[in-house]
Amino acid sequence: MAGRMRVGNRSGQPEVVDVSNRAADRRRGSSESDEPLLSVQNLKKHYPITEGILSKEVGRVRAVDGIDFDVYPGETVGIVGESGCGKSTAASSLIRLEEPTEGTVQFDGEDITEYDSEEMKAFRRRVQMIFQDPESSFDPRMSIGDAIAEPLTVQGLTDKGRRNEIVADLLERVGLSASDADRYPHELSGGQKQRVGLARALSMNPDMIIADEPVSALDVSIQSEILSLMNDLQANFGLSILIISHNLAVIRQICDRVAVMYLGEIVELGRTDEVFANPQHPYTRALLASIPTADPNDRGMGVELTGDVPSPSNPPSGCRFHTRCPEVIQPEGYEFDQQTWRRVMDFRQKLDDGALNVEAIREMLLTEVDEYETTEEVTTAETKVRLRDEFDIPKPLSDPQAEAVLESAIENIVTGNEDEARDSLATAFATPCETQSPVLEQTASGQTASCLRIENELPPTDLEQTVRSD
Amino acid sequence: MSVDTDTHGSAGSRETFEDVDWEQVDDAHRSLSLKAIIIASIYTVFAAGVIYDYVIKTPGTDTIGTLGVNLQALDWLYILTLLSILCFVVVPLYENKRMTRYYWRQFRKNKAAVISLIYLGIIFVIGSIGPRFLDRPTVNPSNAYQPPVFMSVEEWMPVECAGEVSGGRCHGTWAHPLGTTHEGKDILVSVIYGMEVSMQVGLIAAMITITIAAIVGVSAAYFGGWIDAVLMRYVDIQITFPTFFLYLMVVYLYGGSLFSMIVIFGLLGWGGIARIVRSEALQRREEEYVLAAKNAGASSYWTMRRHLLPNVSNSVITAVTLLIPGLILFEASLAFLGLGDPTVPSWGEVIASGRDDLQYAWWISTIPGVFLFFTILAFNFIGDALRDALDPRSEGSGE
Repeated sequence: MAGRMRVGNRSGQPEVVDVSNRAADRRRGSSESDEPLLSVQNLKKHYPITEGILSKEVGRVRAVDGIDFDVYPGETVGIVGESGCGKSTAASSLIRLEEPTEGTVQFDGEDITEYDSEEMKAFRRRVQMIFQDPESSFDPRMSIGDAIAEPLTVQGLTDKGRRNEIVADLLERVGLSASDADRYPHELSGGQKQRVGLARALSMNPDMIIADEPVSALDVSIQSEILSLMNDLQANFGLSILIISHNLAVIRQICDRVAVMYLGEIVELGRTDEVFANPQHPYTRALLASIPTADPNDRGMGVELTGDVPSPSNPPSGCRFHTRCPEVIQPEGYEFDQQTWRRVMDFRQKLDDGALNVEAIREMLLTEVDEYETTEEVTTAETKVRLRDEFDIPKPLSDPQAEAVLESAIENIVTGNEDEARDSLATAFATPCETQSPVLEQTASGQTASCLRIENELPPTDLEQTVRSD
Repeated sequence: MSVDTDTHGSAGSRETFEDVDWEQVDDAHRSLSLKAIIIASIYTVFAAGVIYDYVIKTPGTDTIGTLGVNLQALDWLYILTLLSILCFVVVPLYENKRMTRYYWRQFRKNKAAVISLIYLGIIFVIGSIGPRFLDRPTVNPSNAYQPPVFMSVEEWMPVECAGEVSGGRCHGTWAHPLGTTHEGKDILVSVIYGMEVSMQVGLIAAMITITIAAIVGVSAAYFGGWIDAVLMRYVDIQITFPTFFLYLMVVYLYGGSLFSMIVIFGLLGWGGIARIVRSEALQRREEEYVLAAKNAGASSYWTMRRHLLPNVSNSVITAVTLLIPGLILFEASLAFLGLGDPTVPSWGEVIASGRDDLQYAWWISTIPGVFLFFTILAFNFIGDALRDALDPRSEGSGE
């Protein structure tokens, strides 16, 4: 098994030069025939929610819920998504820093989830991780020389003299000086520490580096330094890099391919240029629309995600994004303007969550209108108007049929029949998005994406048009 | 498999991370380091000594007959403590000279602590050497109530004034520089014997306490789950256990002995520190460097030993510097109450023996009291300075 440990084993040639050439090829997008270095299949990480002294499981936080992707030798893959979507958990469970709940991770053709602790320890030499917070990823009581040498030491390199030489060399390669080895983490800046983090990851001569938000804690000026250092190292050593980030600019700068995650699932996966030029999933479009531009005339696309990120302990049914999707599919038989439809859906969502508080609206009116003494005096008509205003739903809706359904629902809510309103809205305004789960499939523009619009070959919405015209 | 040559063209013939042949490293015989061998052999010799003393040699004879040395259980414990201090404090300090110098520079800033350290060093050295050469203070009624040198008392007080009598007053002599008790015991000799007792109490009990508290606290925090639950519930029970009454019972059944006092308080007094260690280690466990160690393939032992333990040492040292003077004081109080070891001349015992004579012979209680006071103060000062010095984030760090 030790034979796999060498970089040189991937090819019989003098390796460093050869691999970097291959890395360059890879970046140019050629030779798809190569076997992936890392292949993740149906990876799941659930955290049980327990209760009582017997720790009975009462629920699960589905932090990562079945993701698949590959990383090829020399390639840089990004995972992007907002906070809490499970991207960091995906990174740590795929190299078993946390045990995955389900799924397989093939590395160089072997399933690492089957490894015993001895094999795992050997595997750790091949994949190294760079952590997000340079403040906390170094032991304050360990000199940085010892920190860089730690992987070497625990892997059995007992000769201190050899370790010191390696550390000195590594420090210089990441742009620090060999004499820094004696310093302690608190004596370094954030950018320097992240360089040390790179040195520590490199010390094992890994085939792959996983970088979890490597630059998010750094100043913008230092971010690009670290990223270009990573790029150089990758070119020199033919590393594969999996980079986790919420920052699209970072992903765009260094990734060959990108996976967009939402609530524990990958919603879009493809070459970075394709995904950025022609996003296929509404969530990706919303993410891209949120990048600020330097053009003062560009007021943004108006694609704004409404609502909160749902809890991964109780993810929405059907398409997980349907509770916030600006392009959620409209029910048949009604004519909505897409934006109004989204607002009506927000209203429904709030009602379903039991978060709609009519009494609070009455109280608000009570404080605003002097005539009222108690909340009982607030008229039904006024409450109804205010309720619509809260969700920016125009009165009346353009479609008279829809207006009738909505009006009766609002009437029911104001008079206290919330259940009835919930049922009538659920039957009348049902969208396939809340019942059918989309799967990742190939799209016309090259990448894969999971959206019912793509599955059902629905035309893009007007919103989508706006984004595209950018 | 061939070893990479320097294809990247960086500095000369230095070994780089690419040169490491892990296959070779794996195949290499994992020889223990010289240090580990020496430490292991020191403890082996110690264990052999204990086995010889308790199993092999004829009961009732001296441990080393020719030298007339007879080691008791307490002495063996004290030797173990001193060996542990040597192996786990002195040797690491010597090995990491840069770190030691840095800590010393920090420590030096606290003048009171430096003086305290010198004072405790003197107490330790005199307390360790003195009893080897001085005979135990003996009862000698004719020699009672001798005043300290340069002092004088009314002529009638001592039965026989050892010094010069002038003007109706008995003057102290160098024969008894600190005077004698009402039984005629020399106070200087008693104080020197008391130094050894105090050091034994403080150091042995602290060693037992720290060892158990650190292992329990760090394992509970690191492993979590049922290990944490079992260990910490046991601590809860132990803390409610009335150690003092257990000791009283032992005194009643077997008579007071310093050994049983130290062992009882050492084995049952670590609960509070274990809780502190655990809560501190719980925070550290969540730090990314623990994950980084796991990512490097480190074992649980490595992570606990190299990351958690050093990072909880601040709280441990703080707790221990409060614990040691507390234990010394506690021993003195028990001895003062007559619950101590009657065969051991501790400070508390001497203080108690002067209790009735405070009016006429103040020195009997006062002199050991002063030593006790300064010893406790010194431990507190040192604890304070160590806490500041060991915090790597304190200002003025590094070069």
